[in-house]
Amino acid sequence: MNPFIRCIFSFIVLLLPFSVEAQQLSADDLFLKLRSRLEGVRDYVADVNMTIDVSFMRVPALKGKLYFKHPDKLKLERNGGIAILPRKSVSLTLNNLIPSGRATVIDAGQETVNGIRARIIKVIPETDESDIVLTRIWVDEHRLLALRTETTTRESGTMKMDLRFGKFAHLALPDQITFFVDVKELKLPKGVTMDYDAGGTDMVKKKAAKKSNKGTIRINYLSYKVNTGLSDKIFADPVKE
Amino acid sequence: MMQLIRQELYKTFHRPRTYISFAIIAAIAVIIEVAMIADGRTFVDFALSGVTEQFDLQGNIINGYFVTYIILQSLIVNIPLLVALVAGDAIAGEAGLGTLRLLLTKPVARWQLVISKFAGSLIYTLALLLWLAIIALGLSLFLFGEGDMLNLKSDEVVLLLKDDILWRYLAAFGFAALAMTSVAALAVLLSVFSDNGIGPIISTMGIILFFTIITNLGLPSFELVKPYLLTTHMIGWKGFFSDPVPYDAMRDSALVLCAYTIVFVAAAIIVFNRKDIKS
Repeated sequence: MNPFIRCIFSFIVLLLPFSVEAQQLSADDLFLKLRSRLEGVRDYVADVNMTIDVSFMRVPALKGKLYFKHPDKLKLERNGGIAILPRKSVSLTLNNLIPSGRATVIDAGQETVNGIRARIIKVIPETDESDIVLTRIWVDEHRLLALRTETTTRESGTMKMDLRFGKFAHLALPDQITFFVDVKELKLPKGVTMDYDAGGTDMVKKKAAKKSNKGTIRINYLSYKVNTGLSDKIFADPVKE
Repeated sequence: MMQLIRQELYKTFHRPRTYISFAIIAAIAVIIEVAMIADGRTFVDFALSGVTEQFDLQGNIINGYFVTYIILQSLIVNIPLLVALVAGDAIAGEAGLGTLRLLLTKPVARWQLVISKFAGSLIYTLALLLWLAIIALGLSLFLFGEGDMLNLKSDEVVLLLKDDILWRYLAAFGFAALAMTSVAALAVLLSVFSDNGIGPIISTMGIILFFTIITNLGLPSFELVKPYLLTTHMIGWKGFFSDPVPYDAMRDSALVLCAYTIVFVAAAIIVFNRKDIKS
């Protein structure tokens, strides 16, 4: 190869990474764009299927309507049935896992989440008023969607959530979320509950099986109605009123 | 034989004492239902505190199915005692009144007399359970309506969907009938040994209470004997409110209850056949 052409070629190759870097959003911009996209959804009603996998709960798959209103209202309605949500249920919405005020955003590399390459950003709120201490967000830069979050709060510990997007991706709303929870064992005196333990055989098995203190709540979203102007009354608990 | 059973039923249901059991069941069920209307939320908050500190439960928790379960749970020890009230008096009561010898002057075999006494007690037991079903399940559903049911166990909570509950109650009452039949058989057996009704009634109550305590105390040293105790299997009806239903264990429990019933009735016949009737 001609030495002149080789020199030009080498120069171009050297410049190429800087050119790609220039096209990539900064961590700050990525976070602000993502947050602004999420804030576009002020409320929604979604038909959902919910499965709860917690060691001390035997709950069948629950169908219902999930109501959300910005910033922190969430309610599962099951047509007269009993609805179960984690105590930190408000964290089931992405909006509440992302700091709302001024924040310091740090680039934390890249990782593959559910087969999709994602950029990791760390977000630290600059105000002390926020319950959130730190949020790590795995962002699909191409579609501007959060694929995973890990939020550390002052009062509720660390919460992890995985999100899968499909037909509602254009609304930045997931088709499925998996919320990971830490649970404590449930222990009540047998003299009170008077359990039937089939002559002691179950008890031996139960002692042998160590129960997990990790649980998951998976919600599949079947449909959404977005920004319909939901009333606050929907979120009131009629029993407690 | 049918004539003997008819006479037995006539005697049982014309005795005012028989209806004390029905009144007690009605009183307990109605008091619990009224208490649930007045203060059910406090009770639920207390009972479910282990769950609600981690999960938010919304919806109609205090519904007819839930209240029925609370009533049945409260009556676990009482119902066998009410069964013993009539079955324990079946033969010993006749001896106490001095009518047993007179009864045996009729051309009936002694085993037939024991069987008719047991059959009378069995029909009374079934009537008592039917009354319980009406007053607990029927009235609770009327007052509180249908809904999903939360069943709180010592180490887990089970949520049953409302369309999946009624059959469980029907099956549970069926199983309870089997359990109470064995209690009636025990009371009839004890009744053979005594010449007055109080002894067998108190003995049956004592045995049931003693074994219920052993069954529920949960001490490792009792684990060896638990599978053989009547009281362990008597609460098999609760298995229908588990998910999944432990059918294998419940089949075993049903077989144990049947075996106990057969052994008690057979023993009652053998003892009564050999007994020197003096009154």
